[in-house]
Order: sequence, then structure tokens, then C-alpha cells
Amino acid sequence: MTSSACDTASPRCSSMMEVCEASSVSLREFGCEQSLLSRPDGSSSFVQGDTSVMAGVYGPAEVKVSKEIYDRATLEVLVQPKVGLPSVRERSQEQCVRETCEASLLLSLHPRSALTLVLQVLHDDGSLLSCCLNAACMALMDAGLPMSCLFCGVTCAINTEGEIITDPTAAQEKESRALMTFAIDSTERRVMMSSTKGSFSVHELQQCIAVSQEASEKIFQFYRDSVKRRYSKTP
Amino acid sequence: MPVDTKRVRGPEVSQSPSLFLGRPVAVLPSSGPRADGRQRDQVDVRPVFVRCGLVSQAKGSAYIEAGNTKLMCCVYGPRETERKDETDMKCGRLTTDMRFAPFSCPERGSWIQGSQDKDFSLMLHESLQPAVCLHKYPRSQIEVNVMVLENSGSVLAHAITCASLALADAGIEMYDLVLGCSIRQDGASYVVDPSYMEENYSSSASSENQGGLTVAFLPSLNQISGLQSDGEMTEEILTAGVRTCIEGCYKLYPVIQQALAKAVRKAAPPPSES
Amino acid sequence: MAAGFKTAEPLEYHRSFLKENCRPDGRELSESRTTTLNIGSISTADGSALVKMGNTTIICGIKAELANPTVEAPGKGYIVPNVDLPPLCSSRFRPGPPGEQAQAASQFIADVIESSEVIKTEDLCIDRGKLCWVLYCDMMCLDYDGNILDACIIALLAALKNTQLPEVTINKETCAPEVNPEKRCGLHIHKHPVGASFCVFDDSILIVDPTAEEESLSTAQLTVVTDEEGRLCSLHKPGGTSLSGEKLQECISRATARQREIQKLIDKVIHSVKTAQ
Repeated sequence: MTSSACDTASPRCSSMMEVCEASSVSLREFGCEQSLLSRPDGSSSFVQGDTSVMAGVYGPAEVKVSKEIYDRATLEVLVQPKVGLPSVRERSQEQCVRETCEASLLLSLHPRSALTLVLQVLHDDGSLLSCCLNAACMALMDAGLPMSCLFCGVTCAINTEGEIITDPTAAQEKESRALMTFAIDSTERRVMMSSTKGSFSVHELQQCIAVSQEASEKIFQFYRDSVKRRYSKTP
Repeated sequence: MPVDTKRVRGPEVSQSPSLFLGRPVAVLPSSGPRADGRQRDQVDVRPVFVRCGLVSQAKGSAYIEAGNTKLMCCVYGPRETERKDETDMKCGRLTTDMRFAPFSCPERGSWIQGSQDKDFSLMLHESLQPAVCLHKYPRSQIEVNVMVLENSGSVLAHAITCASLALADAGIEMYDLVLGCSIRQDGASYVVDPSYMEENYSSSASSENQGGLTVAFLPSLNQISGLQSDGEMTEEILTAGVRTCIEGCYKLYPVIQQALAKAVRKAAPPPSES
Repeated sequence: MAAGFKTAEPLEYHRSFLKENCRPDGRELSESRTTTLNIGSISTADGSALVKMGNTTIICGIKAELANPTVEAPGKGYIVPNVDLPPLCSSRFRPGPPGEQAQAASQFIADVIESSEVIKTEDLCIDRGKLCWVLYCDMMCLDYDGNILDACIIALLAALKNTQLPEVTINKETCAPEVNPEKRCGLHIHKHPVGASFCVFDDSILIVDPTAEEESLSTAQLTVVTDEEGRLCSLHKPGGTSLSGEKLQECISRATARQREIQKLIDKVIHSVKTAQ
């Protein structure tokens, strides 16, 4: 098992941060570690600034009769908050992550089986849903599940001055008047998932989508680098 | 304290504004005309509005409105039983679920099913089961779901009527329709088809013969399938009450028959003359 | 023959219609079902509305109660929206606590209320830090035939417009609230958010106001909520296949048109209720 694609503290990642600063969109320092858990079939931990999510994938495994789908695998997503029990908000996040994963996974290759994705929130400092999506994608990759495309999550906030902030912190989220999270696919850079809060104009939406698409390039490049690094290490 | 994590939560405690009215709640008198102008001590039921087949997804459905009491019933099935461990597989299973919408009563109800709902579900089950030919549906279950949208009294009686109509609309084989009627005994006098106020806020000086009675009746077989009474009544009053309820059911019968005939005609229009 | 084809190959059945730019129920791809609205039918609720979109039926009842505001927000009341999909409305729902779909719908409605500011929670404050209103908005599905989110928003908006709250005064001596049920006033509705839902078939064909069957066969669903000023309150797309910018733009312009249509309908119904009284 190889691990550690990029650690937040490693110099590799800081070099990536330089790339981030050069471009117009700025993301917080982000990093990921794959295969860090031994029990699940695939696992990852994704860190965006101080926001951190751990993901574990189990399956394909046997499915409960009541949940069986005859022509494809059943995907179940569980989001566990840092403290307390999952509530209605987590359920809504689960739905977003699940339907995004369902669209990218080739579920028809595993009919009548179950896939379970568990997302444990370790710390929430803004952009939680996008961090969950990124962790989920890395974990699915680690599990070696067949996918038609990759996806990544980007959160944008529009502050009271009308500026667009990508990957906002919790404080920035609070001050913003609109908050949008998109999942972008890796093949055509189109919007797979969208979840918004606050009101905004059509123009602002288009701007945010454009910014997210730009930001997604960086994340996909990071995905590529980390996978490349991981497999070049193994003899 | 257990919290409901599956719903959007509000504050931990909230009170109904009716608690702060600043004046005592009026107690209904036990004599004289009733609040809605109906006659006391007579079989004066509220006019009912019934309609079949309103829900597209259900096998059969019915809606009933009596005064302000509004409820709806949907029937699903017969389908495969979920509980396979049941010993008796020669006979079908009838399941009933009766729920009150949170906004149906003057005081807001909880989403979680209370003991009252469960009692009503059980009573509904007992009243309907003798009328359904369950032996015709082996290894299958028939689901009856009742939702009370507005509670203005006599809910159980109307739920029984509505459920049997929905069962008939679903084409489930039955021996007879089941009609429900309830009365409220208040001392020497009684009211038929009581409203919510009459059910909950009437009290007379005499403490004897206070109670409510609901009868489920099979009109063409002339049999009683369910009887529920609470309070304290003498034997004579109770038997007289049962007779009154049966009379009330007969008043309802033509309306229900008409609604059913209309639904059947709509589903299978008679062959045209040409 | 057609019925057998529909049961055996539902997706092919729908595709054969979509090829001809129409749908099995006779609608065009961009046509919504007829929407009917009934306001104030539940007398036990402080405000109520029943919405029918084709077969889909949602009833919304609003109950107002009194509570203490939180310490963090002493000048704000509460709005508690919940969507229920009881086993009554479709055979796909089981009895018991709400499932994922109902919970996600509740959260969506809560987000729409917050984002659109249809009602400001500040308006629900009676006495700062001491007393405020709680609006329990319970939406219940009576007939599930797809697109419940749109129907829920219409039902909620119409019920809020119908809500009449009794006057509450605080007794100076006892500090206890006193309710005057004779004197009632309506809520101040700041915005009129209305949703429009879409389904994506075979990754490219966009259809408006999907039925339950269309929803289950589609590859993605999308709901756009706009207010009367043309601002977006929500762009909710919980995954599914990706959508291009042009398609998204098409959805938004449809949604703004739908908003005008529904607001007109609500105003018309409220007006007719008022004149009838």
C-alpha cells in the first residue's frame, strides 16, 4: 500500500500553492492522502485549508434484498458530522454526493451489489460540501472502481462587495450573501451538481461557474499528479 | 432527551396561542340547539361529500368531508406480504395506518404517531376486517392508509366509511360496505355525529351517562363489525345509542352508494347506444 | 399492446415519444401540467393551501405557536418547514420516519426560505429576547406524481400569503402574553420565490415538470428557483449527468417565465377568496 500523495506540510504542496497564486482563482492549500485506512476497500482524506474530510469506500459487496437494483449497483452515502448525529442537513449533502457519484461511476458493471461510501467530517472551516466531493472522488479512485469520469467540488462565495471568493473559509461563508457549490466533471468541465444558498443574479451564476471551471483544472491536475506519484513509487 | 434528527427542528418548546386567550374556554350547554344548528336527540348527521378515485398512484382512494372533518384514504395492494413469518398464509393480511396531519387539530400535533393514532388504526382494522374477503387474497397484503386533514369530530366513524369506500374503489372483494357513525351521550340527551367542540368541551352537571360511542355497521348484512365506547353509560342508554348509530348509518348509505356507482361508471362507461 | 410495451421497456417507451418531441401524457417537452390552487381550505390551520400539478397534490398547513427566541438571535422568530411523504401518497414510501427524499426536500425548502427571504424572521419577533412566533409549515404530499419540490414551494407560498396571525400584546403587570384572536393580520411577504423543475433524458433532452415515472427514468434532475425580480434563489441539482451552460440558461429563462405565471395564479386565487368573503 502506497500512501501520501501530497501532505499539506510537504514542500511539494507549497510549490503547488505558488501555481495557485499565479492564477486569478485562489484556493486554499489543499492536500490528500489515499489508502490510509486498512479496513475499507478504498479510503482517502482530503484537506482544504482547515477543512478536513475522511472517506472510506466499501464494496462491491452483497446487497440487502430490499435495496437490490437488478441492473446496477446500489450506492449508499453516509455523511457523519464532527459532533452529534447526522441531521436533515447531512441527509441533503448525502443526496448531493450520492447522485454525483452515481453519475460518474459505471454502476451497471456491478449489478445486484452494494457500494457504501462513508464520509467523516473531521473539521469544518467552510467549503465542506466541496471537500466531501473531493474526498469521495479520491476514495472511489483508491478503491479502483470503474468510473466514466472524475469529478471535483468547488465552492464560491459572493461577498457583500460582489467579489467572488473561491474556497471560502467558514468566516467568509458567514459574511457572504450567496454561496454556491458545484461539482465539475473531468471530461467536459460541465456542472454535475449544484447547490446554492442566498440569492444572486444570472450573471453572477455564470461568473461563478466559469471561476469554478477554472479552479477545477487545478484540482484535476492535482488528482493527476498525486496518482502519477503514487504509481511511479510502486516498483 | 431524544431528538428528531430526521426533520427540520424548531425551538425546544413552543406554546399554542390559544393558551393565552385571557378568557375561559366556553363550555357548550347540554341543552338547546347545537352550535351548527343541528337538532339534539335526533339522528341529524352532517351532510357529507364523498368522492372516489382522487389519488392517481393508489389502487383505490376516497375522500370524505362531513362538516369540517376532512379525511382521505388510499388503498394499496394486494401485494406480496412483507412479513413472511406469519403462520397463516392461506389468508391475506389487512394493514391499517391512520394518521393526523400536524395541522388537523386546533392544537398542533406532532409528526410522530401518538398512542391515539395507534388506537384508531387498530379500531379501523377491527371494523374493516370482517367485511373484506381476505381468504381470496392468500399470501398478500392490502394496505389501508388514512390521513386526517382536518379534525372536526367523529373522525373514527368517517374514517371507517372512507376506508371501506376506498377498498371498494380498489376492487377488493368485500361482503359489504362498512359505514361508521358516532354519538356523544351527555346525560339524558345525545348528539349524533358530534363536532370537535362537542366531543371535547361538553360537560353537564350530572356525571352519569357521559360518553362517546362509535359503531361500524354493515348495512346490507345488518351486522355490526366494530363498536367502540368510552365513558360510563347504563345498558339501556348504550343499546339505544347503538340503534341511533345504526339509523345514522342508514342515512349515510345512499350517499356512499351513489359515490361508488359514479366511480364505477367513470371507470367503465356503459356501452353507448350507437 | 402499448401497455405491455410500457411495462416491459419503460425507457424505450418514453424515448419513442421524445423522438417525436412529445410525451406520453400528450404534453410538449417544455409544457407544464395544469396547476390548480385552493387556499384556506383547512380551518384548523392559521394558513393553508392545496396545490395540484397534474396528479401531484401537496397540502400545506401553517400553525403558529409562541416561543422564546434564541440567545444568539433575540430579535428573530422561527420558521420550521417540513415535507412529509406518507405511505398514502405512493406505494414507494414506507410507513415510519421520513426517508432520504423527504428529508432532502425539507432541507431544500428550508434553504429556499432562507435564501429568498420570503419572510424575514425579524418580522416574527413580538418582544425582543422574550417572545416570538414559530411558524410550523407542514407540507404533506397526498398524491405523488413527480415534481414535488415545485408543488411544495407553491403550496408554501400560497399558505404563507393566507396566514393570519392573532394580535399579541404583553401585559405590563404580569409580563404574560395576551392573545386577541378576533384581531388578526397577515404576514408580510417580501419575495415570491417559485421553482421550476426539469429532468434530463439520455444526457441531452430537457423536459419540464416531470411526472414520477419520468423522474425515475431520467439521468439528472434540476430545480431552479427564481423570485419576481428575476434573481435566482436556488439552483439545485443534486448530481446526475452534467449539463452545458446553454441548457442551464434555457432552464433559467423557463423558470422566470414560470415564476410570473404562478405569481399571477396565486394573486388571482387570493383575490377571488377575498371577494367571496
